[in-house]
Amino acid sequence: MNARIQLNWWGRILAGTVLGFTLALAVAGVFQWGMPPGIAKFQLVMWLVVPVWLGVLSAVFLFRDVVRAWLWLGGANVAAYALMFLLRSLVR
Amino acid sequence: MRSETIRTYKTVHTWTGIVAGLFLFVAFYAGALSIFEPALTHWASPPRTLPLVSLAQAPELIERTIAAEPQARREFTLHLGEGHEVPARLTWRMSRHDIEPHAATLDEDGGVSVTRLRPAGLGQFVDDLHRSAGLPGDVELGAAFMGGVSMLYVLALVSGVVIVVPSLVRDLCALRIGPNLKRMWMDAHNLVGIVSLPFHFFIAVTAVVFGLHDEIYDVLDRVVYEGQLKKVFQVESPFAGFGGKGGSAPMLPPTELLSRLQAAAPDFQPTAMDYRNAGTRDASVMVWGVDERQLMRGRGFAIMDAVSGEVVNASYLPGHQNGYSATVSAFFALHMGSFGGPAVKWGYFVLGLAGAFLFYSGNLLWIETRRRRDKDTGGGQSRSTRVMAALTVGTCLGCVAGISVAVAASKWLHGVVDDLGAWQWGLYYAMLVAAVAWAFMRGAARAGYELSWLAVAATLAVPLTSMLAWLVPGLGLWAWGGGIGIDLGALAGAVGMAMLARAARRRAYSMPADSVWARAGSVPA
Repeated sequence: MNARIQLNWWGRILAGTVLGFTLALAVAGVFQWGMPPGIAKFQLVMWLVVPVWLGVLSAVFLFRDVVRAWLWLGGANVAAYALMFLLRSLVR
Repeated sequence: MRSETIRTYKTVHTWTGIVAGLFLFVAFYAGALSIFEPALTHWASPPRTLPLVSLAQAPELIERTIAAEPQARREFTLHLGEGHEVPARLTWRMSRHDIEPHAATLDEDGGVSVTRLRPAGLGQFVDDLHRSAGLPGDVELGAAFMGGVSMLYVLALVSGVVIVVPSLVRDLCALRIGPNLKRMWMDAHNLVGIVSLPFHFFIAVTAVVFGLHDEIYDVLDRVVYEGQLKKVFQVESPFAGFGGKGGSAPMLPPTELLSRLQAAAPDFQPTAMDYRNAGTRDASVMVWGVDERQLMRGRGFAIMDAVSGEVVNASYLPGHQNGYSATVSAFFALHMGSFGGPAVKWGYFVLGLAGAFLFYSGNLLWIETRRRRDKDTGGGQSRSTRVMAALTVGTCLGCVAGISVAVAASKWLHGVVDDLGAWQWGLYYAMLVAAVAWAFMRGAARAGYELSWLAVAATLAVPLTSMLAWLVPGLGLWAWGGGIGIDLGALAGAVGMAMLARAARRRAYSMPADSVWARAGSVPA
């Protein structure tokens, strides 16, 4: 379709849906273990998942190509989970 | 932004819009009506016949009821207020899904007389339709599906904004009314879309959460909470401090509990009190109410100890929540319009109807775009264009007509049929399926105005029903005991739809014959 943006729709949508969701869980987890305790915090944690997930899914069409999408999102996942596990081990 | 990026988002916008559009039309139209859910139920339910026991006599009513009715001892509701919308002073349900609660009043011989109430459940029907877009089967499953549809809706919003941003400043208020119909529809679609964008954005994101929250909690439990989430639920339960004491104890009178709560939260307006384990040392009262200056999850509540009168839990009391809870309440409130009182409710009603228009006009745009392409290739209307046009007209107008018929019939069928809920759904589906079939048989252009007139007639049936009830008391129906808002709203809606029907008919006669909207070319899809 175009030389500069390689579309590969399904690869992008899959990256945004799967890696976007796992990234959103990790970001919510960072919030859970990084913020002070309080009533209804677990609810706000659940609410955080959706905007992060949809933000990633909306942005996934901006990547130059589908491999970059998977690599960047994969890297962001590794970083976010590392941070969540670190924070969780500090709290527990 | 690079032009190829914009082209990509145009494709995203078109496909997410086309797939999600018709579901969202139903969700928005029913959602706009569900703002007035209590008024709808009240319109279709017979007026209260039981005398309303005064609040001063409530302690006696409670004492006698829990002595006679073990189910009520477990849990009952004391309804506050004196208006016509109060079904009875004291009611209880046999289970969580019981939609026909029992009601008790004081009788002459020192006991209670118990009757079963039969509210029309119309608000519930509209709300279920709103949450599931009328997908057949389990409402919760339909709501989860709509969570997925709402994800497409978010994508459609983001991509729609990306598309219009470059020309936004130039075109926003340009409403080019003229011979270029596609341009005019596009301008209207863009204007409504951008002006109500914050509303749509909140609705879309919160709808995803409302649709998928159970699933997300399950996954979070495993990934983030190491399977300990259930423990968090239990620890944070507003009733966590109750239970296990046993033995009977005298409770404070409701008026005393309310005045103590008022001292703690002067702006909170209580509407109902849910008692659990009444008459025991574990007795608790969940006081429901509103504070219109606050963002609420529909309503707020406080938990009180019915024996000591202490406010045990104010975590969900509007204006008394911590930052986490208040933030989540804000998300609920911005979806439901549960803040600021009637003005905000009317605003949400208008925005909801405008949203339905957005999806309708979006589909029309797609159809018009296809039309030009069809002509360029020298052919007539393609099958996909005819199908989409018929589906759009049939679904949207069938939904409007179906809801109106279900509303009007609720008053006629109340007390006549056993399962009113099944009738509401049956009538809705009958109208919807008939309208879609009609649109396919007649073609979109003819069906466009014919079905509009059907929707007008169905909607007029609502005020006409009340009018008949008033003129012919022998029918056993009831007229305006609960106010005239629903009837006036339906009348205004019918007038508006009649204007649309006339415009659609004019268009059908004036369009060039190769248009999908021309009567001459209106062939079965």
